[in-house]
Formats: sequence, C-alpha cells, structure tokens
Amino acid sequence: MKKIALIIAFSFCLIMIFVTSCKPSEAIASKTGAQIWGENCVRCHNAASPATFSDVEWEVAARHMQIRANLTTDETEKVIKFLQSAN
Amino acid sequence: MKKLLFTTLCIISVLSYAQDQSSVSESATTKIADYLKPGKSKFMLRGYYHTGFDNIQTGDDKESRFNPGTIAPILMYKQSDRLFFEAEFEGSFEGEGFDLGLEYANVSYVLNDYMIVRAGKFLLPFGSFMEKLHPAWINRLSTVPLGYGHDGILPTTDIGVELRGAFYAGNIKLNYQLYAINGPQLKVGGDEPEEDGMLNFGAFEDNNLDKTFGGRLGIFPFSNSSLELGFSALSGSVGSQETVYENVSTNMYAMDLSFVRNVSFLKSMVDIKGQYNFVKTDNANYDDLEGAPGDQYTYTNESSAYYGQLSIRPSMSGNNFLRKLELVGRYSALETPEGALWEQSPTQTAVGLNYWFDWRTVLKIGYQTTDGLQDGHNADETISSNLIYVHWALGF
Repeated sequence: MKKIALIIAFSFCLIMIFVTSCKPSEAIASKTGAQIWGENCVRCHNAASPATFSDVEWEVAARHMQIRANLTTDETEKVIKFLQSAN
Repeated sequence: MKKLLFTTLCIISVLSYAQDQSSVSESATTKIADYLKPGKSKFMLRGYYHTGFDNIQTGDDKESRFNPGTIAPILMYKQSDRLFFEAEFEGSFEGEGFDLGLEYANVSYVLNDYMIVRAGKFLLPFGSFMEKLHPAWINRLSTVPLGYGHDGILPTTDIGVELRGAFYAGNIKLNYQLYAINGPQLKVGGDEPEEDGMLNFGAFEDNNLDKTFGGRLGIFPFSNSSLELGFSALSGSVGSQETVYENVSTNMYAMDLSFVRNVSFLKSMVDIKGQYNFVKTDNANYDDLEGAPGDQYTYTNESSAYYGQLSIRPSMSGNNFLRKLELVGRYSALETPEGALWEQSPTQTAVGLNYWFDWRTVLKIGYQTTDGLQDGHNADETISSNLIYVHWALGF
C-alpha cells in the first residue's frame, strides 16, 4: 500500500510539473469565447443560445461544463464572458 | 400675470411630484436590485426527462407500451470560483412503484488553471459514452450500445477521488483524468448464480481493502477541437476479502473517438462517435449449477464490446424544417466469455430520425434490431429482438 501511495504521489508531482510547464500556441491563446463555445459545446450536444440562462446561471452552468468537458480555467472564463455579453 | 404665476406654480408642483415619484421608484429599484444581487454562492437546478412509446418483439414475446421514462434532476452549487458541488438523481418507474437513485454526487475544487480535484460518487471517465453522451437529450438514439447499462460489462459510476484537467502543448490540447475508487465487485453465489464471474459496478461499499485505479487521456490533434481520441484503463481487485476470490483482479481498457465538424458540401453537421472496450478478469472456479454438489467450472473471463455511430444534421440547409432533422445510425457488438453461463455475442443495428424543437428538446423515432441474444428459456439457443420507438427527450 505504501508503495502504491508513493507511486501516486510521484506521478502527481510529475503531472503537475509537466502540465504547468506546457503552454498554448499564440493562435490558441487568442481564441475568443465565441470560438471556444462554438467548438466545444457541439462535441456532445447542440450549442445553447446565450439567452437560455441568466448571467448568474451561466456562471454555474459553465463551471459544470469546465469539469465535465475538460475546459481550462482560461477557456471557461472566456466562454462565460461571451455568453454574458451576448445574453 | 396671474395666469403666468399660476402656470409656473403648476409646472413646479408637477416637476416636484415627478421627481419625488422618480426618487421613490429609484429607491425601490435599488432595494430590489440589492435583494436580487447574487452573492458568491450560486445554485442551479437542471436535468432531463424522456418519455415515449416502445414496441418490442423478443423471440416470440411481444410488448407494446407507453414508456413512463426517466426523470433526472441535477443540482449544481457553485460556492466560489474554485468550489463546486453537483448531484444527479435518477427517478424511474419500476413495477408498481417509483425508484429514486443517486446517479452521482461529488464536490470539485479547482487547484489551478489545469487541475481539478473531485471526490464523491462520479461518472467514470472510462471511454466517453457513460460520462458525456448517455443523457437522453444528448444521446442521439433512445437506447445505449450493447455492453453498457444494466447487466453491462462496463463501469458507470463509482465512489472515490479524481484528479482531472486539460492543458495545451502548442496547438494540441490534452485532457486527463486519474482516479482511485472502491472499484467493481465480482459476482459470486448471489441471487443470480448464472451471473457468477460478472462484475457489479457502482456498489456503495468496498468488498476488499485494495483500491481500484484508472484514468483516461484525451488528445485533440487539431486546434479546432473537432477530433478527440481517448485512451482509458482501469485496474484493481474485484474479489471479496477473506474468500477464495480475494486475489481475483480485473483489467479494463478502452479507446474512444469523437469527430464533430460542419461539412460545407453536405451543408450538414457530421458527428462520428465510437468506442472499443476490453475487459480481462482473472480466471476463477465457480459452482456448477448443473453438476453434482461441489462440482465447479471455470472459463477464460474476457469480454469485449464496441460501437460506432454516425449522425448527420443538415444544420446549414436553407430549409428551416430540414435544419431541425437529424439522421442517426449505430452498430454495436458485445462478446462475453465463452463457457460462462452468461455467454452471448449479440450484434445490434439501430437507425433513427430525430426532430429538434430547440437545442435541448428532441423527438426521436427509431428502429433497432439485435441478433444473437441469449435465450432466457433455452441457453443453447439465441434469439433476436426488434424495437420500434418514438421518444421525446427534454433537457432543462
């Protein structure tokens, strides 16, 4: 059990170092919230109209989607701003 | 002069009154706004429901019924930008009653831009279907592929802790999920001894001291996120502690694919999904129900299942009616261990036509045929099953 715990801790550190050292390209970093919304929602379901929810509700729904659809925090913030501005 | 003085006084009075009323109105608006102003904690209720009509023929048995469907309310609570809780309940009609189950309930904490840790009961990211595509308003057909769902060979939910997130390496996006869970359990000597050697998923208690570990890595090779390739694995002990099965373990692997793209020459959105799964559980001896007392039998406990699905929706058509239609086709197959009492190798073809009222409300009409199913009355025979359905699914 101790061995497994050590392997997990080591893997966690390794992943943390790797993940935080990776950077998006300039083209990716400059994507707008509308682009991210258009590209990611349709991967599983039809894209929701910004008018579907209130600004406050979008903050909750988008956080749910950040977890479920594996969005980065930066992508999530951009999508929330887009949906709230287009609402 | 008197008239001028009187008129001036009237105007001043009206203006003062209007200003007073305006102040009262602004004050009331401010109070309402203050009352409604959201705090950092935010709550939301969402979910989905589906109902419809099924016409089923399995072997010589026929059934025709209005399906009461399933309601799945989802509670979401955002305590802060980092802390999030969600729970999904699933209510369905069983016999004369109504069953309410907990599909998942978990709390997530955003560690940084690329890492989220969550704990509780969650949908397992083993492939993509059960975690992302199974809800009735998302699934393009009204049924799940072979191998999934009740009596399936694939994991659905479990209790544990998970680390997940996404990050970019240049133009390529990667996402990952790593988890430790109680794990599946080996079915032995229960109410259904013919299922000995199968795995039971989503149990609330752990039947041994070992934990099951798993994960998924997803890769988006193109910068527009149109294609995702996923690789999943899960490994752990499944036998109950202090029994002859305590050293029995299972290893599972899956590969999944998703391609979604607007194809301009078809004026359509094309959606391709697929997943291949392989399950290898250690061999063990089980009581032979048909032999003498004490007789046992064994078999190589390997199963596999896969599906491929294509849907086309002419979302760029000039015709408003056509834009709301969607054609779907899916093929799936299941192979369970040869020699097991639950041995079967059915194949299934499903086709459907959907009409989308809006982005989350759909009317599904479909036909599904399944061949090679195990006959419950005669284990040596296989039977076919045909289903025609009309279902209405709604996300809310």
